[in-house]
Amino acid sequence: MSIELGHFALILAFAMACVSALGGLLLWRRGDRLAAVLAQASILQFVLVGVAFLAVVQAFVSSDFSLALAANHSHSLKPLIFKISGVWGNHEGSMLLWVLILVLFGALVAAFGRRLPSDLSNLVLGTQSLLTAAFAGFTLFTSNPFERMVQAPLEGSDLNPILQDVGLAIHPPLLYAGYVGFSICFSFAIAALVSGRIDQAWARWVRPWTMLSWTFLTLGIAMGSYWAYYELGWGGWWFWDPVENASFMPWLAGTALLHSALVMEKRNALKIWTIFLAIITFSLSLLGTFLVRSGILTSVHTFASDPTRGLVILTMLAVLIGGAFALFAIRSPALRQGGLFAPISREGALILNNLFLATAVGAVLVGTLYPLLLDALTGTTISVGAPFFNFTFGALMAPLLLVLPFGPLLAWKRADLVAAGQRLMGFAALAVFLAILISALGGVSISMVPLGLLLGFWVTLGSIAELIERCRLGRIPLGDSMRRLVGLPRSIWSTALGHMGLGLTVLGIVAVSAWETELVTTLNPGETAQLSGYQIAFDSFEQVPGANYIADTGNFTVTSPGGGTATLHAERRTYVASGTPTTEAAIQTYGFSQFYLQLGEPLDDTHVIRVWYKPYILLIWIGTLVMAGAGVLSLTDRRLRVGAPQRARKVVAEAAR
Amino acid sequence: MPRLADKRLGPMIFWSIAIAVTAVACAALFYAAAGRTVNAAGPEMIDPDEHFRLLLAGIEADEHSGKLDTAQALAARGELARELLRSKSESTARQPDTLGRAPLLIGIGAVAALSLGIYAALGSPSLPSLPLAERPEIAAQNIDLEDAVARIEARLATTPDDVRGWQVLAPTYIELGRYTEAVNAYRQVLALTPPTAELRTDLAEALLLEAGGAGSDEAMALLAEAAASDTANIRSRLYLAAELMRTASYEDAAVYWQEAINLANGDEPWLEAANQGLAVALNDGVDTAAQDQMEMIQGMVGGLSERLYADGGTVEEWMQLVRSHLVLNDRENAQRAYDAAIAAYPAAFDRGELDTLALSAGLTLNGDTP
Repeated sequence: MSIELGHFALILAFAMACVSALGGLLLWRRGDRLAAVLAQASILQFVLVGVAFLAVVQAFVSSDFSLALAANHSHSLKPLIFKISGVWGNHEGSMLLWVLILVLFGALVAAFGRRLPSDLSNLVLGTQSLLTAAFAGFTLFTSNPFERMVQAPLEGSDLNPILQDVGLAIHPPLLYAGYVGFSICFSFAIAALVSGRIDQAWARWVRPWTMLSWTFLTLGIAMGSYWAYYELGWGGWWFWDPVENASFMPWLAGTALLHSALVMEKRNALKIWTIFLAIITFSLSLLGTFLVRSGILTSVHTFASDPTRGLVILTMLAVLIGGAFALFAIRSPALRQGGLFAPISREGALILNNLFLATAVGAVLVGTLYPLLLDALTGTTISVGAPFFNFTFGALMAPLLLVLPFGPLLAWKRADLVAAGQRLMGFAALAVFLAILISALGGVSISMVPLGLLLGFWVTLGSIAELIERCRLGRIPLGDSMRRLVGLPRSIWSTALGHMGLGLTVLGIVAVSAWETELVTTLNPGETAQLSGYQIAFDSFEQVPGANYIADTGNFTVTSPGGGTATLHAERRTYVASGTPTTEAAIQTYGFSQFYLQLGEPLDDTHVIRVWYKPYILLIWIGTLVMAGAGVLSLTDRRLRVGAPQRARKVVAEAAR
Repeated sequence: MPRLADKRLGPMIFWSIAIAVTAVACAALFYAAAGRTVNAAGPEMIDPDEHFRLLLAGIEADEHSGKLDTAQALAARGELARELLRSKSESTARQPDTLGRAPLLIGIGAVAALSLGIYAALGSPSLPSLPLAERPEIAAQNIDLEDAVARIEARLATTPDDVRGWQVLAPTYIELGRYTEAVNAYRQVLALTPPTAELRTDLAEALLLEAGGAGSDEAMALLAEAAASDTANIRSRLYLAAELMRTASYEDAAVYWQEAINLANGDEPWLEAANQGLAVALNDGVDTAAQDQMEMIQGMVGGLSERLYADGGTVEEWMQLVRSHLVLNDRENAQRAYDAAIAAYPAAFDRGELDTLALSAGLTLNGDTP
């Protein structure tokens, strides 16, 4: 019964979304009563989809194989956490999760948006309902997670073993929260275009949602990257795989949106560009969903390829994105341009940031779609590999990183570049010194490495320049400086941390690319090998049974140059239900560096082992965590909250004086 | 609850709950509109003034901290004032229309009709949930088989002439993997009932399982008796043929393969294996199919290596070439192909599983600096 009630709840939510979309978009001028109904409907949709989702979770947890989804993707022996995460480890379930997060954001707007002007609120919730109707409809009619089996099998066919990992419990929900969160920005953009109401207040509404989605997306991508790093067994952390690019493009566009919304909020400029970016960002999220869900790309993310589904998603994509851009083309000339500013100003710097980011999106988009289009049109298969992306993307990011520390030091409207330069002089000198020192110690020949290090240190150090400037370190007593530092607005801390996180990630990327070492060899138990001063002893080999797999386990002792020892267990697992093997690499962390050991296929007593030493690789993910932390910090800044404005006639009268 | 009643009641309970849920949701929507008209003091709009107040505070803060000088601050205030005026003139007091009762009711009605209609088309209200723990098959499985066997054994200890007890036990022993006891049980059955071809085959099967696949004289004799006594018994013939193949008596095996094939209807799952067995038996034990496969691999290797050495190829293709050489037991060429692949892909990362394949087959990694 619970499964069918869940099915009904999803259908009821779909019906409600259809009617809300029509009502919101057609009758948006009808004021408060409609706004109240739409807000109620948004909250109800969330409750209903939540019930539907819980019904599927319940079926997975209780191994109810009369639900086709559970029969195809679960197994009664799976540990509980993988039974739950297995709900979205397949096409239908992951679409259901998509819809759940979509209605969650709709409900959040309804809950926090009670003070939105009613016409804006109607349009936003109407657009949001339209998206819900489209995706819930797609889920129900082409990929229904509630499909039943009349003859229920006694055992399920298990989840792809690669996905049986805590990564599946974390990565997709975070990534989807990021993707789907941008739908709110999209809905606000559509509302602004339809109503013609676009002002700083609009930007104040949109920016927290952008920040929230961006934070989730940052964490989602970072988590996906780390998961691929430890699970796929190659020790690579970014492959420029089309699926990765599909999540990276909305991130780049979202980063641009974050900065342009800032200009709009503070200075009422860049309005049309901000609207455009909001549409682009969500369109790229949809494109990512399409690429991954349609089965066009084969990867660990492809659960089933069904041409009908691809076609339906493509149509939805064309209608939603095409409609949004058509609306943009018609309405944007009617929008009023915003405030003016000199080229050398905070606004100017942010525009520069936007130009580089937008070009980077373009480069990644071309590199991702060109092979697909060529394949579809001419049948020629080419692969645009890492060299293309590394070169193009690197060439675009280097100048961006170079000018980045200047941005926060420039004043709004018009600024003094020389003064900003003088303030950064010390940091620049320090960055140059560190880059030369480390290059010399690391024994680097003439290459891009010193430049990479220089940029990394420059951004990391330059990001704290504003903090030091604001707290007047060295110019007033230290205690006063510290008090000033703590008292700084959180938005300033957030800017500094966000930029510093980027610098740390750059440093990690440069270090691991330059100094990674690798060893492939055959080893018998009892033998030893050496890599970068680390001694690897193969102690023993044994078979260990797991919950739903059998593991060939190699036990190793690694002795670091400092003399410390660590015991590592690398596994090759064979899953009982599917017979599929997976590798579980053994990873030992030394500070920010990692030692990565993978057990290859065995033959008689010999084992192929692959070992990597990855210096400072953790900085890559620590940097992204710092960036996400900056996002959270910015969200806690009261001035950005979807706030409760107070009437203050007196001050306004003063301002108009 | 009896099953019949359950089948009829299930959908009824389901529809009652579904309609109740729909009714509650629709009521919530209806009263959301009504509630707001009763309580609302006026349209709750975002206050644009608040926004300008914050901007002004920002300008003042910048002026205090010295980021703007007095003239700049004055200009910024001026711009803010112009912005405020423009904003005021734009937001002409437009009295929003209000939502009438008719569109509200139509919308709510549409929600109810759509959801119930779509569910009627897509749903399966009569299918109950079947959590694994509550399923009858599982419940039956949970009766301890060993326990039941022990009880029957205890009874047979006092009444060893009870044929039905042995008949139940024998296949159960096979299922539990207790072959020696199964042999004993079948012997008891055979002693207590007239021997049939099926029964002899069963005993022979148990003997074969007990011996781990190796045939014994007793098993062969039983199978031969079974085949002779029942000209339509397929199972005994298949066992005989397989055993004779194992002992290289191809001529006799061919006879039994042929007899079994003659008895087949044409859609049996074993038929293909039997045909293959017959072909091998007629060819004195040489498997031509396997030979053909070898020839095919050799042909493929020829074409593939010609192309790869001339034009290069992907890592997967090199891997296929190395693997094919290894299958053909041609280590020299396997090593040559592996060296060429390393020359084409010097970075170990690019070579992927190729290294694993080559190294585990005992090839050496030349000219590579890991």
